[in-house]
Amino acid sequence: MDAVLIIQSLISGIMMGMVYALLSVGFSLTWGVMHVIHISHAAFGLLGAYLAYSLLQYFGMDPVVSAAVSVPLLFLLACGIYQLLIRPITRAKEVIVASMILTFGLAIILENVMVLIWKADPRVLTPTYASGALIVGPFYFQYPHLVGFGLSILGITAIYLFLKKTYTGMAVRAAWQQPEAAQLYGVNLYRISMITFALAVSTAGAGGISLALLNSFEPHSHNLWLIYLFLVVIVGGVGNVIGTALAGLIIGVITGLSMAFLPYQWVNLVTFGLLMIFLIFRPHGLFKQGV
Amino acid sequence: MLRVDNLTVCYGQMQALRGVSMEVSPGEMVALIGGNGAGKTTLLNTISGLITPAGGSLSWEGRPLNGLTPDMICRQGIVQVPEGRKLFPAMTVEENLIMGAYLPAVRKQSRESLRKVYDIFPRLADRRRQLAGSMSGGEQQMAALGRALMARPRLLMLDEPSLGLSPKAAAEIFGTIKVLNKEGLSVLLVSQEVLETLAITAHGYVLENGVVALKGPSSELREDPKVKTSYLGL
Repeated sequence: MDAVLIIQSLISGIMMGMVYALLSVGFSLTWGVMHVIHISHAAFGLLGAYLAYSLLQYFGMDPVVSAAVSVPLLFLLACGIYQLLIRPITRAKEVIVASMILTFGLAIILENVMVLIWKADPRVLTPTYASGALIVGPFYFQYPHLVGFGLSILGITAIYLFLKKTYTGMAVRAAWQQPEAAQLYGVNLYRISMITFALAVSTAGAGGISLALLNSFEPHSHNLWLIYLFLVVIVGGVGNVIGTALAGLIIGVITGLSMAFLPYQWVNLVTFGLLMIFLIFRPHGLFKQGV
Repeated sequence: MLRVDNLTVCYGQMQALRGVSMEVSPGEMVALIGGNGAGKTTLLNTISGLITPAGGSLSWEGRPLNGLTPDMICRQGIVQVPEGRKLFPAMTVEENLIMGAYLPAVRKQSRESLRKVYDIFPRLADRRRQLAGSMSGGEQQMAALGRALMARPRLLMLDEPSLGLSPKAAAEIFGTIKVLNKEGLSVLLVSQEVLETLAITAHGYVLENGVVALKGPSSELREDPKVKTSYLGL
């Protein structure tokens, strides 16, 4: 093993990990704040990727520019889905189970809609700079990877600042920590749940676009992405943004290294072996829970 | 000011409140006493809009409160410090206080309110960056009271503010409540510290099994033989 290869795969792992983190942070929030395990979260991420693909294909919009269109669009779509589907089931006795079953169905619907619109063939995002790379000494970084990485950092930072610095973000944390007291001081739980859900779906969209800049994707890719979501959230602690970011990085690095040094068919085995080890020995994750 | 008329609340088959009527006048401090399970917390939570009553009516300055959500009740200036304090444990003291001023109407004055709360409880200013969950019971109760004051209450409802506190911390909290009332704030005080509570309030209600068993001026309640045997252990 030479040092250059190790460092190169470490860096790609970090880039990958940041993208996982952005894709997961919303999943973690809906889980923590609303007790909704949103199985179609990754499918919405994939929808973001396809929107970016079409906007690039037909209007020549760069994925980062088109994110400014598609992410707010996903926010609105998610508000509608919350009112129509999610809000009724939050009154169920077992919200977690009910939400998993409901959103599992939603994921299947979304997947088939994507097959209908975009066909089942794998797609790649090819912005104008797709073939370019930044070369620093013996290392090289493909431009799309750098852009995806940058978009992820931007997304994670934005959601962190939202939760820490804005009244609405603080209400999301308050509702998670102590829903009754939050209500007593004027927090409308339904409104906060809708915002949490819609924001989570939007960040999934941004994460999907970032991931599409790194990897190819097809309508069923969200199934694999979903397992990564669970892995990141379980390692990072439910509802913990910083924990999610760190967990994303750790998992990205592990995946990056195993991709470089292990036969391809072993990569997922390592990742999901890790998930099982975590579930057995540290089901609460490495970091504290809570936003 | 606050008027509760023939209020009934049910939890499934069980009736927690059975036709409770009571009143709080402007600037008055009213005691609500009674044993465990008498319905005191249920009454406060119903006024706050967390529980929907099965019957009866609630009104505030002549306007009905029935059917309003907790955030709308808070907007009216009816603010509760819940039992067990219920701070946001993973938020700092200052974040907890700021959340008290969450509603837009009071948000604009939050800087000024914050200064006022820190004046009343200098210890909270020292601990403003500390996580609320890591403080002592007395400090947590200060933070809970401070958070309620941030909401600019016109009626402050306190549920067992001295529960689990040292006698010194409890006396400090009661002292602060008395001062706030002297400054004109209406207070509805639920407490098991019956002697102390009846000493600082003007009127009182004794709740037993979901009904008002006794009511009257606090000085008279203190002398009532039933109160003496059941609540004062005399």
